[in-house]
Amino acid sequence: MRLLPSRRSDLIGFGVLIVVLAVFPLLAPPSWVNVGVYALIYAIAAIGLTLLMGLAGQVSLGQASFFAIGAYTQAILVTRYDWSGITAAVVAVVLASLAAFVLGLALLRLRGHYLALGTLGLGIIITVLATESEFTGGTSGIFGIPKPEFNNRTYNSPSEYFWLLVPVVVIGLLVARNIVSSRIGRALGAVNDSEVAAETLGVDTFRLRLQVFTLSAAYAGVAGVFFAHWLAVVNPNAANFPLSVKFLLISVLGGLGTVWGAVIGAFLVEFLDESMSTFIPQVIPGATGEVELLGFGVVLVLLVILLPGGLHQAWQLAVGRIVGRGGGADEAAAAPTARPDPDDSPLFARAGRSEPGSTLLEVRGLTKHFGGVVAVDDIDLEVRTGQILALIGPNGAGKTTCFNMVSGVLTPTSGTVRLAGKRIDGRKPHTFARARATRTFQNLQVFGSMTVLGNVMVGRFLRSRAAMLRGALYFPARAEEAQIARSAYDVVEMVGLGAEARRQATDLPFGRQRLMEVARALATEPDLLLLDEPMAGLSRTERRELALLLRRLRAGGMAIVLVEHDVEAVLALADQVAVLDDGRLIALGTPDEIRNDPAVVAAYLGVDEDDSEAAEAVREMTGGSGGQS
Amino acid sequence: MTDFLQLAFAGLSVGAVYALIGIGFVAIFTVSEVINLAQGEFAALSGLIAISAVASGLPLPVAVLVAVASVAVVALLMERLTIAPVKRMTTLTSIILTLGVSTALKAVMLIVWGPNSQGLEAFPGENVTVLGVSIRSQELWILGITAVVAVAVIWFYEQTGWGKALKACAEQPTAARLVGISLARASMLSFLIAGVTGAIAGVAASPVYFTSWDSGLAIGLKGFVAATLGGLVSVRGAVLGGLALGVLESLVAGYVDTGLRDAVAFVVLVVVLVVRPSGVFTRQAVARV
Repeated sequence: MRLLPSRRSDLIGFGVLIVVLAVFPLLAPPSWVNVGVYALIYAIAAIGLTLLMGLAGQVSLGQASFFAIGAYTQAILVTRYDWSGITAAVVAVVLASLAAFVLGLALLRLRGHYLALGTLGLGIIITVLATESEFTGGTSGIFGIPKPEFNNRTYNSPSEYFWLLVPVVVIGLLVARNIVSSRIGRALGAVNDSEVAAETLGVDTFRLRLQVFTLSAAYAGVAGVFFAHWLAVVNPNAANFPLSVKFLLISVLGGLGTVWGAVIGAFLVEFLDESMSTFIPQVIPGATGEVELLGFGVVLVLLVILLPGGLHQAWQLAVGRIVGRGGGADEAAAAPTARPDPDDSPLFARAGRSEPGSTLLEVRGLTKHFGGVVAVDDIDLEVRTGQILALIGPNGAGKTTCFNMVSGVLTPTSGTVRLAGKRIDGRKPHTFARARATRTFQNLQVFGSMTVLGNVMVGRFLRSRAAMLRGALYFPARAEEAQIARSAYDVVEMVGLGAEARRQATDLPFGRQRLMEVARALATEPDLLLLDEPMAGLSRTERRELALLLRRLRAGGMAIVLVEHDVEAVLALADQVAVLDDGRLIALGTPDEIRNDPAVVAAYLGVDEDDSEAAEAVREMTGGSGGQS
Repeated sequence: MTDFLQLAFAGLSVGAVYALIGIGFVAIFTVSEVINLAQGEFAALSGLIAISAVASGLPLPVAVLVAVASVAVVALLMERLTIAPVKRMTTLTSIILTLGVSTALKAVMLIVWGPNSQGLEAFPGENVTVLGVSIRSQELWILGITAVVAVAVIWFYEQTGWGKALKACAEQPTAARLVGISLARASMLSFLIAGVTGAIAGVAASPVYFTSWDSGLAIGLKGFVAATLGGLVSVRGAVLGGLALGVLESLVAGYVDTGLRDAVAFVVLVVVLVVRPSGVFTRQAVARV
């Protein structure tokens, strides 16, 4: 259930949609047009909700709250203070967004359940406040909101109001769709696949989610404004829970994989609603009120179980292409700049890096307890610019835990991490990335919904700038999108994945996925790169190529920390080697020093040093391994 | 002072209902990380079934048993028919699913029982006055029942093999599978517990607070807030949280404005989540966020 931008089907969708909407009032019977007006109004709110759920992966059970805020504000400003419809609408939409912003500020840092229940609570509060307050007219609400008037033309018949709404819906759809395929949309898609990986590439999950939540409330606010003018009355029912459920159903039915599904979903739900509220009372005498809820509930459950992608999924199945295309893959193919490089010239050199040999990463007293277990115990490390530090040790020695603390995935129990002199321990991974440092993962964190190129394009997040507004307008951001695709493709080529750039990332063998993660990390142009077992699963040739790549990066001035099980490869590559055992740093030195360190050998063999037989074995091993390299 | 005691006691009694609902949230969440939005509907449904059972001539205790058993079956059916078939349960999916079930249950209740609020016959007992505080016997029943259920649930989780297995599922799903605890069975058991506690809350509360097809919404949200006060993972925390929320609501309604009663829970929810998302009534502040 996620958004996959697919340009061609979008364009077809838009074309069909505009034509159908334009002729609908001419062909449909008047009662249908009236239902259609509500469908369009609700569709606007549902588009916002689809963005929130499909893009930010969050659920709002109170979309009607923002709808009500918009409707009430509009009603009050227009009827009591004689504001013009447009100015009032601006204020109404801003207030709705503001409410979401404040709530999101409080709840979006937490897991998805809390926003859902928090928005549900907001709906209850707004109903309570609207009912209790004299200002909002109590239970009867606010009356007499006039129909909108432009150029001496009053939009008071269903057909006219319908046509007034069509451009609003279409613009709303375009904006939503553009955001989905923008840099921001791609980043949020990555968050849905792997939040931790997206964060280490510099994506500030919380901030982006907050933006989307605020925007989704703005959509609801716009819908509320049109609702107020059409119905001419706003009462506490506008914030009602069943209305929020209706919005949710519209979004899920239309499919979270596409924004325009919301419009089709809205028509279906409105007609379902209409027919049920006439049909059910005939079957069950005395049933009044929210009987359509029965239908909503059953349809929601069936949808999630049988057709989780909604109508969008059904459409794709029908058309016979379930596999989506990754964002922006089209531009990339046009600009492959192949880069044959058997040389070992420096790569990714960057002006503004500190002097080679100066300390870039400084770790002091780093400690992590999990309950009673000490996973990492008082570790001091330094990593210098233009240096490769290898972190080795047996399984469970605490290597990955160290990486997690340095990159901000875990907060240390005690100790400090400084990057270029600035303390970063306990900060989120995107702070680490912003300080020009990133990492890969031992257990792969691939963005499964994207192509290889799409994955690497997420790595360009911090090196590109188009914010939500520019993304929404599409054209201003187009040049940058092409630029992102091109530079991402260069990195993909560099690690030798050029031929696979447009394949779905999860279709690659594990070793290739690892290389892709390296490429993704390199795309951020880091000064410090942490690689967690990058060689695992790679063929001999691939290992050699990766080692060469790392040397060239070092020559360019990058600092690299490497966790690796292939000790020989590490000793051949690293400038410094740190050995961890049982959470402690047991040795630190050059590869030669480490090779001959008895403590290290003991740790690997798990024997005491004073055991003569073992000591013999150790001597053999060190001698042997020295000879092989 | 009497006013205060009166309000506080009334709050304890309503809070006990939230506590029972909260236990249901915790039971399900700890096993499958699903927030069951139909939890409040379990209570409403059991209240309405009990009312109908009494109306059809069954004695009250039998009616209560019938109600609790029926809701337990509904909870199990819900788990088998809607939760179990979903292969990849995300937060988003679980919320939409349980919302769908909750909405459908509401509609069924509306169609079967109509839109009016009804109250179950009160449990036997005399109302008393202590220190000027008038206490309805039903309120004592609610508190007593909640105490018994809470102790039983805590005993179950901490002393029995099945209970420990459920906890293991919650803390270490992989390890739990390795030692042969079936997640499917654990999930069913958790829904059974949630169904029974929710149903008990429903029948106990109905005589004082009345029941209608849509009373599950507010009570469900408040039960969730109670569970949140316990970090969503602690039965003790949910019970204390429910009681505290009930008292706070009652005081706000009494001293500030009756209309604001329903707003308290939401404000508490937001404040708790901002200040201490791991729960207020939890021993250690290990955020499972």
